[in-house]
Amino acid sequence: MSNKAIEIGSGLVKKVKIGKNLPLVFIGGPCAIESRSHADKMANEISEICLRLDIPWIFKSCYDKDCRSSLNSFHGVGVDDGLNILSDIRKDYKVPVTSDFSDPAWAKPTGEVCDLVQVPAYLCRQTSILKAAAFTGKPIHLKKGQFMSPWNMKNSVRKIESFGNNQILLTDRGTFMGYNMLVNDMRCLPIMSETGYPVCFDATHSIQLPTSMGDISGGQREYIPCLVRAAAGCGINALFMEVHDDPDNALSDANTVLDLKYLECVLSQAKRVHELRLDLLKEFGEDNVHKEEANCF
Amino acid sequence: MFTKKKLIVSDVMLGLDQFSVLGEQAILKDAFEKMSYWNLGISCIVNSEKKLLGVLTDGDIRRNILKIQKTLSQLFVDDALIHAVKKPVTVSSSTSLSQAINLMEEKRIWDLPVVSNNNTLQGLLHLHPAIKALLNES
Repeated sequence: MSNKAIEIGSGLVKKVKIGKNLPLVFIGGPCAIESRSHADKMANEISEICLRLDIPWIFKSCYDKDCRSSLNSFHGVGVDDGLNILSDIRKDYKVPVTSDFSDPAWAKPTGEVCDLVQVPAYLCRQTSILKAAAFTGKPIHLKKGQFMSPWNMKNSVRKIESFGNNQILLTDRGTFMGYNMLVNDMRCLPIMSETGYPVCFDATHSIQLPTSMGDISGGQREYIPCLVRAAAGCGINALFMEVHDDPDNALSDANTVLDLKYLECVLSQAKRVHELRLDLLKEFGEDNVHKEEANCF
Repeated sequence: MFTKKKLIVSDVMLGLDQFSVLGEQAILKDAFEKMSYWNLGISCIVNSEKKLLGVLTDGDIRRNILKIQKTLSQLFVDDALIHAVKKPVTVSSSTSLSQAINLMEEKRIWDLPVVSNNNTLQGLLHLHPAIKALLNES
Protein backbone atom coordinates (compact mmCIF):
# COMPACT_ATOMS: atom_id res chain seq x y z
CA MET A 1 0.00 0.00 0.00
CA SER A 2 1.12 3.54 -0.71
CA ASN A 3 3.49 5.03 1.77
CA LYS A 4 4.74 8.19 0.09
CA ALA A 5 2.60 11.12 1.21
CA ILE A 6 2.41 14.13 -1.06
CA GLU A 7 1.82 17.69 0.11
CA ILE A 8 -0.20 20.09 -1.99
CA GLY A 9 -0.34 23.85 -1.55
CA SER A 10 1.99 26.56 -0.36
CA GLY A 11 1.91 30.09 0.99
CA LEU A 12 -1.46 31.29 2.22
CA VAL A 13 -3.23 28.23 0.95
CA LYS A 14 -4.27 25.59 3.45
CA LYS A 15 -1.88 22.74 2.74
CA VAL A 16 -3.38 19.36 1.93
CA LYS A 17 -1.53 16.14 2.57
CA ILE A 18 -2.50 12.97 0.71
CA GLY A 19 -1.17 9.62 1.87
CA LYS A 20 -1.38 6.55 4.00
CA ASN A 21 -3.48 6.74 7.19
CA LEU A 22 -4.36 10.38 6.48
CA PRO A 23 -7.86 11.83 6.17
CA LEU A 24 -9.52 11.35 2.81
CA VAL A 25 -8.95 14.34 0.52
CA PHE A 26 -11.58 15.58 -1.91
CA ILE A 27 -10.57 16.96 -5.30
CA GLY A 28 -13.49 18.54 -7.09
CA GLY A 29 -15.27 21.31 -8.86
CA PRO A 30 -16.98 21.91 -12.18
CA CYS A 31 -15.40 20.03 -15.07
CA ALA A 32 -14.70 23.24 -16.94
CA ILE A 33 -14.38 26.82 -15.80
CA GLU A 34 -17.56 28.21 -17.33
CA SER A 35 -17.25 31.77 -16.07
CA ARG A 36 -15.63 33.64 -13.20
CA SER A 37 -18.90 33.96 -11.32
CA HIS A 38 -19.84 30.31 -11.75
CA ALA A 39 -16.40 29.05 -10.66
CA ASP A 40 -16.57 31.36 -7.65
CA LYS A 41 -20.04 30.18 -6.72
CA MET A 42 -19.00 26.53 -6.96
CA ALA A 43 -15.85 27.11 -4.92
CA ASN A 44 -17.91 28.85 -2.26
CA GLU A 45 -20.52 26.10 -2.06
CA ILE A 46 -18.01 23.23 -2.03
CA SER A 47 -15.86 25.05 0.50
CA GLU A 48 -18.78 25.30 2.90
CA ILE A 49 -19.63 21.63 2.53
CA CYS A 50 -16.03 20.52 3.07
CA LEU A 51 -15.74 22.81 6.07
CA ARG A 52 -18.89 21.33 7.58
CA LEU A 53 -17.66 17.79 7.00
CA ASP A 54 -14.07 18.62 7.96
CA ILE A 55 -12.74 17.22 4.69
CA PRO A 56 -9.54 18.70 3.23
CA TRP A 57 -10.09 19.59 -0.40
CA ILE A 58 -8.63 20.92 -3.63
CA PHE A 59 -10.61 22.96 -6.16
CA LYS A 60 -10.48 21.48 -9.65
CA SER A 61 -11.66 23.08 -12.84
CA CYS A 62 -10.13 23.11 -16.29
CA TYR A 63 -9.44 26.09 -18.53
CA ASP A 64 -9.24 24.12 -21.78
CA LYS A 65 -11.11 20.95 -22.67
CA ASP A 66 -9.05 19.66 -25.55
CA CYS A 67 -10.46 16.14 -25.59
CA ARG A 68 -14.11 16.91 -26.36
CA SER A 69 -15.73 14.58 -28.85
CA SER A 70 -17.23 17.38 -30.91
CA LEU A 71 -15.79 20.62 -32.24
CA ASN A 72 -19.10 22.19 -31.30
CA SER A 73 -18.71 21.39 -27.61
CA PHE A 74 -17.54 24.04 -25.16
CA HIS A 75 -13.76 24.17 -25.31
CA GLY A 76 -13.04 26.33 -22.30
CA VAL A 77 -12.19 29.90 -21.33
CA GLY A 78 -8.55 29.51 -22.31
CA VAL A 79 -5.24 29.43 -20.47
CA ASP A 80 -4.89 33.08 -19.45
CA ASP A 81 -8.44 33.76 -18.28
CA GLY A 82 -8.74 30.34 -16.72
CA LEU A 83 -5.57 30.60 -14.68
CA ASN A 84 -6.53 34.12 -13.55
CA ILE A 85 -9.79 32.75 -12.21
CA LEU A 86 -8.08 29.80 -10.52
CA SER A 87 -5.54 32.15 -8.99
CA ASP A 88 -8.32 34.31 -7.52
CA ILE A 89 -10.19 31.29 -6.14
CA ARG A 90 -6.95 30.14 -4.57
CA LYS A 91 -6.52 33.49 -2.83
CA ASP A 92 -10.14 34.04 -1.87
CA TYR A 93 -10.78 30.59 -0.42
CA LYS A 94 -7.22 29.72 0.59
CA VAL A 95 -7.73 26.39 -1.10
CA PRO A 96 -5.23 24.61 -3.37
CA VAL A 97 -6.32 24.59 -7.00
CA THR A 98 -5.73 22.26 -9.92
CA SER A 99 -6.39 22.01 -13.63
CA ASP A 100 -5.28 19.55 -16.24
CA PHE A 101 -3.23 20.65 -19.24
CA SER A 102 -3.09 18.92 -22.59
CA ASP A 103 -0.30 20.85 -24.31
CA PRO A 104 3.28 20.83 -22.96
CA ALA A 105 3.44 24.57 -23.62
CA TRP A 106 0.71 25.16 -21.02
CA ALA A 107 2.58 23.32 -18.26
CA LYS A 108 4.68 26.25 -17.06
CA PRO A 109 1.87 28.77 -16.58
CA THR A 110 -0.32 26.02 -15.10
CA GLY A 111 2.38 25.12 -12.60
CA GLU A 112 2.86 28.77 -11.67
CA VAL A 113 -0.75 29.02 -10.51
CA CYS A 114 -1.90 25.51 -9.66
CA ASP A 115 -0.79 23.62 -6.58
CA LEU A 116 -1.37 20.30 -8.32
CA VAL A 117 -1.02 19.75 -12.08
CA GLN A 118 -3.19 17.13 -13.70
CA VAL A 119 -2.25 14.91 -16.62
CA PRO A 120 -5.32 13.87 -18.61
CA ALA A 121 -5.97 10.14 -18.74
CA TYR A 122 -5.74 10.04 -22.55
CA LEU A 123 -2.22 11.47 -22.32
CA CYS A 124 -0.98 9.43 -19.37
CA ARG A 125 1.94 7.92 -21.21
CA GLN A 126 2.75 10.91 -23.44
CA THR A 127 6.40 11.58 -22.62
CA SER A 128 6.33 15.27 -23.57
CA ILE A 129 3.35 15.88 -21.26
CA LEU A 130 4.86 13.89 -18.38
CA LYS A 131 8.16 15.72 -18.77
CA ALA A 132 6.45 19.10 -18.83
CA ALA A 133 4.40 18.16 -15.76
CA ALA A 134 7.50 17.00 -13.89
CA PHE A 135 9.37 20.20 -14.70
CA THR A 136 6.68 22.35 -13.10
CA GLY A 137 8.03 21.08 -9.78
CA LYS A 138 4.46 20.72 -8.55
CA PRO A 139 2.82 17.48 -7.41
CA ILE A 140 1.33 15.62 -10.37
CA HIS A 141 -2.11 14.10 -10.58
CA LEU A 142 -1.71 11.27 -13.09
CA LYS A 143 -4.88 9.57 -14.25
CA LYS A 144 -4.76 6.02 -15.50
CA GLY A 145 -5.76 5.95 -19.16
CA GLN A 146 -8.94 4.04 -19.85
CA PHE A 147 -6.86 1.87 -22.18
CA MET A 148 -4.12 1.16 -19.63
CA SER A 149 -3.70 -1.68 -17.20
CA PRO A 150 -2.94 -0.53 -13.66
CA TRP A 151 0.43 -2.28 -13.65
CA ASN A 152 1.50 -0.50 -16.83
CA MET A 153 1.14 2.84 -15.03
CA LYS A 154 4.51 2.05 -13.53
CA ASN A 155 6.09 3.02 -16.86
CA SER A 156 4.59 6.52 -16.63
CA VAL A 157 5.55 6.80 -12.96
CA ARG A 158 9.13 5.93 -13.84
CA LYS A 159 9.16 8.50 -16.62
CA ILE A 160 8.08 11.22 -14.18
CA GLU A 161 10.63 10.09 -11.60
CA SER A 162 13.36 10.13 -14.21
CA PHE A 163 12.50 13.78 -14.89
CA GLY A 164 13.14 14.57 -11.23
CA ASN A 165 9.63 14.68 -9.75
CA ASN A 166 8.47 12.20 -7.14
CA GLN A 167 5.24 13.80 -6.00
CA ILE A 168 2.62 11.73 -7.79
CA LEU A 169 -1.03 10.90 -7.22
CA LEU A 170 -2.41 8.01 -9.29
CA THR A 171 -6.09 7.88 -10.18
CA ASP A 172 -8.45 5.28 -11.57
CA ARG A 173 -11.18 6.72 -13.76
CA GLY A 174 -12.45 3.48 -15.27
CA THR A 175 -11.26 1.12 -17.94
CA PHE A 176 -12.68 0.57 -21.41
CA MET A 177 -14.79 -2.52 -21.81
CA GLY A 178 -15.34 -2.77 -25.54
CA TYR A 179 -16.77 0.40 -27.10
CA ASN A 180 -18.51 3.32 -25.32
CA MET A 181 -18.36 1.60 -21.95
CA LEU A 182 -16.20 1.87 -18.87
CA VAL A 183 -15.93 -0.52 -15.96
CA ASN A 184 -14.15 -0.21 -12.64
CA ASP A 185 -11.80 -2.91 -11.58
CA MET A 186 -11.23 -2.00 -7.94
CA ARG A 187 -8.03 -4.02 -7.98
CA CYS A 188 -6.59 -1.04 -9.87
CA LEU A 189 -6.34 0.80 -6.56
CA PRO A 190 -4.15 -1.59 -4.56
CA ILE A 191 -2.17 -2.45 -7.68
CA MET A 192 -1.33 1.19 -8.42
CA SER A 193 -0.62 1.87 -4.76
CA GLU A 194 2.13 -0.73 -4.93
CA THR A 195 4.15 2.01 -6.65
CA GLY A 196 4.32 3.55 -3.18
CA TYR A 197 2.37 6.63 -4.31
CA PRO A 198 -1.07 7.59 -3.01
CA VAL A 199 -4.11 6.65 -5.06
CA CYS A 200 -7.36 8.40 -5.90
CA PHE A 201 -10.69 7.30 -7.31
CA ASP A 202 -12.43 9.45 -9.92
CA ALA A 203 -16.09 8.61 -9.39
CA THR A 204 -17.69 10.89 -11.94
CA HIS A 205 -15.58 9.92 -14.95
CA SER A 206 -15.89 6.27 -13.97
CA ILE A 207 -19.61 6.32 -14.70
CA GLN A 208 -19.06 7.92 -18.10
CA LEU A 209 -20.23 6.17 -21.26
CA PRO A 210 -17.60 7.59 -23.60
CA THR A 211 -19.06 9.21 -26.73
CA SER A 212 -22.10 7.00 -26.33
CA MET A 213 -24.44 9.74 -27.53
CA GLY A 214 -23.05 10.24 -31.01
CA ASP A 215 -20.83 13.23 -30.50
CA ILE A 216 -20.94 13.56 -26.72
CA SER A 217 -20.42 11.23 -23.79
CA GLY A 218 -23.26 9.82 -21.74
CA GLY A 219 -23.14 8.70 -18.16
CA GLN A 220 -24.91 6.87 -15.39
CA ARG A 221 -24.72 9.26 -12.46
CA GLU A 222 -26.89 7.04 -10.31
CA TYR A 223 -23.92 4.72 -9.76
CA ILE A 224 -21.68 7.41 -8.23
CA PRO A 225 -22.48 6.67 -4.56
CA CYS A 226 -22.00 2.90 -4.75
CA LEU A 227 -18.73 3.24 -6.61
CA VAL A 228 -17.53 5.83 -4.10
CA ARG A 229 -18.31 3.50 -1.19
CA ALA A 230 -16.64 0.58 -2.97
CA ALA A 231 -13.48 2.56 -3.71
CA ALA A 232 -13.25 4.02 -0.20
CA GLY A 233 -13.66 0.53 1.23
CA CYS A 234 -11.03 -0.84 -1.10
CA GLY A 235 -8.55 1.83 -0.09
CA ILE A 236 -8.00 5.31 -1.50
CA ASN A 237 -6.22 8.40 -0.29
CA ALA A 238 -8.24 10.91 -2.28
CA LEU A 239 -11.60 11.08 -4.01
CA PHE A 240 -12.15 13.00 -7.24
CA MET A 241 -15.58 14.13 -8.39
CA GLU A 242 -16.74 16.79 -10.78
CA VAL A 243 -19.63 18.75 -9.35
CA HIS A 244 -22.12 21.16 -10.86
CA ASP A 245 -25.06 23.10 -9.47
CA ASP A 246 -27.04 22.58 -12.67
CA PRO A 247 -25.78 19.38 -14.34
CA ASP A 248 -28.25 19.39 -17.19
CA ASN A 249 -26.91 22.73 -18.33
CA ALA A 250 -23.26 22.13 -17.52
CA LEU A 251 -21.04 23.18 -20.41
CA SER A 252 -18.82 20.10 -20.05
CA ASP A 253 -19.53 16.51 -18.99
CA ALA A 254 -23.16 17.28 -18.28
CA ASN A 255 -24.03 13.59 -18.19
CA THR A 256 -21.46 12.64 -15.59
CA VAL A 257 -21.08 15.52 -13.13
CA LEU A 258 -22.52 15.05 -9.68
CA ASP A 259 -25.32 17.41 -8.80
CA LEU A 260 -24.07 19.75 -6.08
CA LYS A 261 -27.15 18.99 -4.02
CA TYR A 262 -25.86 15.43 -3.51
CA LEU A 263 -22.26 16.32 -2.72
CA GLU A 264 -22.61 16.45 1.05
CA CYS A 265 -24.39 13.10 1.12
CA VAL A 266 -21.77 11.37 -1.05
CA LEU A 267 -18.79 12.94 0.71
CA SER A 268 -20.20 12.04 4.13
CA GLN A 269 -20.41 8.40 3.10
CA ALA A 270 -16.95 8.44 1.57
CA LYS A 271 -15.52 9.86 4.75
CA ARG A 272 -17.31 7.34 6.96
CA VAL A 273 -16.20 4.36 4.86
CA HIS A 274 -12.64 5.70 4.72
CA GLU A 275 -12.51 6.05 8.49
CA LEU A 276 -14.05 2.63 8.99
CA ARG A 277 -11.41 1.12 6.74
CA LEU A 278 -8.61 2.77 8.71
CA ASP A 279 -10.17 1.47 11.94
CA LEU A 280 -10.37 -2.05 10.49
CA LEU A 281 -6.74 -1.95 9.40
CA LYS A 282 -5.79 -0.82 12.89
CA GLU A 283 -7.78 -3.65 14.45
CA PHE A 284 -6.95 -6.48 12.05
CA GLY A 285 -3.63 -5.35 10.61
CA GLU A 286 -2.64 -4.20 7.15
CA ASP A 287 -3.94 -5.93 4.03
CA ASN A 288 -1.36 -8.69 4.35
CA VAL A 289 -3.48 -11.69 3.47
CA HIS A 290 -1.47 -13.74 0.97
CA LYS A 291 0.70 -10.67 0.53
CA GLU A 292 3.63 -12.80 -0.60
CA GLU A 293 1.65 -13.57 -3.74
CA ALA A 294 0.87 -9.96 -4.61
CA ASN A 295 4.17 -8.21 -5.31
CA CYS A 296 2.96 -6.14 -8.20
CA PHE A 297 5.80 -3.65 -8.49
CA MET B 1 34.44 -35.76 -5.52
CA PHE B 2 36.87 -33.38 -7.24
CA THR B 3 40.15 -32.82 -5.43
CA LYS B 4 42.08 -30.58 -7.85
CA LYS B 5 43.10 -27.33 -6.19
CA LYS B 6 45.07 -25.59 -8.90
CA LEU B 7 42.32 -23.69 -10.69
CA ILE B 8 40.44 -20.96 -8.90
CA VAL B 9 37.09 -19.36 -9.71
CA SER B 10 38.53 -16.24 -11.34
CA ASP B 11 40.26 -18.45 -13.94
CA VAL B 12 37.02 -19.55 -15.52
CA MET B 13 34.27 -17.19 -14.36
CA LEU B 14 32.27 -15.21 -16.90
CA GLY B 15 32.93 -11.46 -16.90
CA LEU B 16 30.19 -8.91 -16.26
CA ASP B 17 29.74 -8.47 -20.01
CA GLN B 18 29.17 -12.17 -20.60
CA PHE B 19 25.91 -12.86 -18.79
CA SER B 20 22.72 -11.09 -17.78
CA VAL B 21 23.38 -8.29 -15.26
CA LEU B 22 20.40 -6.07 -14.54
CA GLY B 23 19.83 -2.79 -12.71
CA GLU B 24 17.44 -2.76 -9.77
CA GLN B 25 14.65 -1.15 -11.80
CA ALA B 26 14.77 -3.77 -14.56
CA ILE B 27 11.45 -5.42 -15.22
CA LEU B 28 10.91 -9.12 -15.76
CA LYS B 29 10.63 -8.65 -19.52
CA ASP B 30 14.17 -7.21 -19.55
CA ALA B 31 15.36 -10.24 -17.60
CA PHE B 32 13.72 -12.67 -20.03
CA GLU B 33 15.32 -10.93 -23.00
CA LYS B 34 18.78 -10.79 -21.49
CA MET B 35 18.70 -14.36 -20.21
CA SER B 36 17.63 -15.52 -23.67
CA TYR B 37 20.35 -13.42 -25.31
CA TRP B 38 23.08 -14.97 -23.17
CA ASN B 39 21.41 -18.39 -23.22
CA LEU B 40 21.81 -18.69 -19.46
CA GLY B 41 18.93 -19.20 -17.05
CA ILE B 42 20.15 -16.66 -14.56
CA SER B 43 20.24 -12.89 -14.06
CA CYS B 44 22.17 -11.03 -11.40
CA ILE B 45 20.51 -7.84 -10.19
CA VAL B 46 22.81 -5.10 -8.92
CA ASN B 47 22.49 -1.55 -7.66
CA SER B 48 24.29 1.45 -9.17
CA GLU B 49 27.46 0.47 -7.28
CA LYS B 50 27.31 -3.06 -8.69
CA LYS B 51 26.45 -4.51 -5.28
CA LEU B 52 24.55 -7.77 -5.72
CA LEU B 53 20.88 -7.35 -4.70
CA GLY B 54 19.49 -10.64 -5.87
CA VAL B 55 19.66 -13.51 -8.32
CA LEU B 56 16.86 -14.53 -10.63
CA THR B 57 16.77 -17.96 -12.24
CA ASP B 58 14.47 -19.82 -14.60
CA GLY B 59 13.41 -21.93 -11.63
CA ASP B 60 12.44 -18.89 -9.54
CA ILE B 61 10.26 -17.62 -12.36
CA ARG B 62 8.70 -21.03 -12.94
CA ARG B 63 7.81 -21.44 -9.26
CA ASN B 64 6.49 -17.88 -8.99
CA ILE B 65 4.27 -18.25 -12.06
CA LEU B 66 2.61 -21.27 -10.45
CA LYS B 67 2.16 -19.44 -7.16
CA ILE B 68 1.19 -15.95 -8.30
CA GLN B 69 -1.01 -16.61 -11.34
CA LYS B 70 -0.78 -13.14 -12.76
CA THR B 71 -1.55 -12.41 -16.38
CA LEU B 72 1.53 -12.44 -18.58
CA SER B 73 1.27 -8.70 -19.24
CA GLN B 74 1.24 -8.00 -15.50
CA LEU B 75 4.11 -10.38 -14.87
CA PHE B 76 6.23 -8.76 -17.61
CA VAL B 77 6.15 -5.38 -15.87
CA ASP B 78 7.00 -6.68 -12.40
CA ASP B 79 10.37 -5.60 -11.08
CA ALA B 80 12.71 -8.52 -11.71
CA LEU B 81 14.04 -8.02 -8.20
CA ILE B 82 10.80 -9.02 -6.50
CA HIS B 83 11.03 -12.46 -8.09
CA ALA B 84 14.72 -12.85 -7.24
CA VAL B 85 16.40 -14.66 -4.37
CA LYS B 86 17.68 -11.84 -2.17
CA LYS B 87 20.40 -13.76 -0.32
CA PRO B 88 21.83 -16.06 -2.96
CA VAL B 89 24.68 -18.48 -2.56
CA THR B 90 27.87 -16.78 -3.79
CA VAL B 91 31.59 -17.44 -3.98
CA SER B 92 34.70 -15.28 -3.99
CA SER B 93 36.96 -15.16 -7.02
CA SER B 94 39.80 -16.82 -5.08
CA THR B 95 37.78 -19.90 -4.14
CA SER B 96 39.21 -23.07 -5.64
CA LEU B 97 37.27 -24.31 -8.63
CA SER B 98 36.74 -27.74 -7.10
CA GLN B 99 35.33 -26.19 -3.94
CA ALA B 100 32.98 -24.06 -5.97
CA ILE B 101 31.78 -27.03 -8.00
CA ASN B 102 31.23 -29.03 -4.84
CA LEU B 103 29.19 -26.13 -3.51
CA MET B 104 27.06 -26.14 -6.65
CA GLU B 105 26.52 -29.88 -6.28
CA GLU B 106 25.62 -29.47 -2.63
CA LYS B 107 23.13 -26.66 -3.33
CA ARG B 108 21.93 -28.26 -6.58
CA ILE B 109 22.54 -25.10 -8.60
CA TRP B 110 24.18 -24.46 -11.94
CA ASP B 111 25.59 -21.00 -11.40
CA LEU B 112 27.38 -19.10 -8.67
CA PRO B 113 27.63 -15.31 -8.63
CA VAL B 114 31.17 -14.24 -7.83
CA VAL B 115 31.39 -11.34 -5.39
CA SER B 116 34.08 -9.41 -3.54
CA ASN B 117 34.23 -9.02 0.24
CA ASN B 118 31.85 -6.06 0.08
CA ASN B 119 29.37 -7.98 -2.10
CA THR B 120 30.31 -6.27 -5.37
CA LEU B 121 29.47 -8.50 -8.31
CA GLN B 122 32.59 -9.57 -10.19
CA GLY B 123 31.40 -12.36 -12.42
CA LEU B 124 29.51 -15.61 -12.68
CA LEU B 125 30.72 -19.17 -12.40
CA HIS B 126 28.71 -21.40 -14.73
CA LEU B 127 28.86 -25.15 -14.24
CA HIS B 128 29.73 -26.19 -17.81
CA PRO B 129 32.88 -24.09 -18.38
CA ALA B 130 33.95 -24.88 -14.82
CA ILE B 131 33.82 -28.64 -15.43
CA LYS B 132 35.39 -28.25 -18.86
CA ALA B 133 38.30 -26.35 -17.30
CA LEU B 134 38.80 -29.04 -14.69
CA LEU B 135 38.72 -31.78 -17.33
CA ASN B 136 41.22 -29.90 -19.48
CA GLU B 137 43.49 -29.51 -16.51
CA SER B 138 43.56 -33.21 -15.72
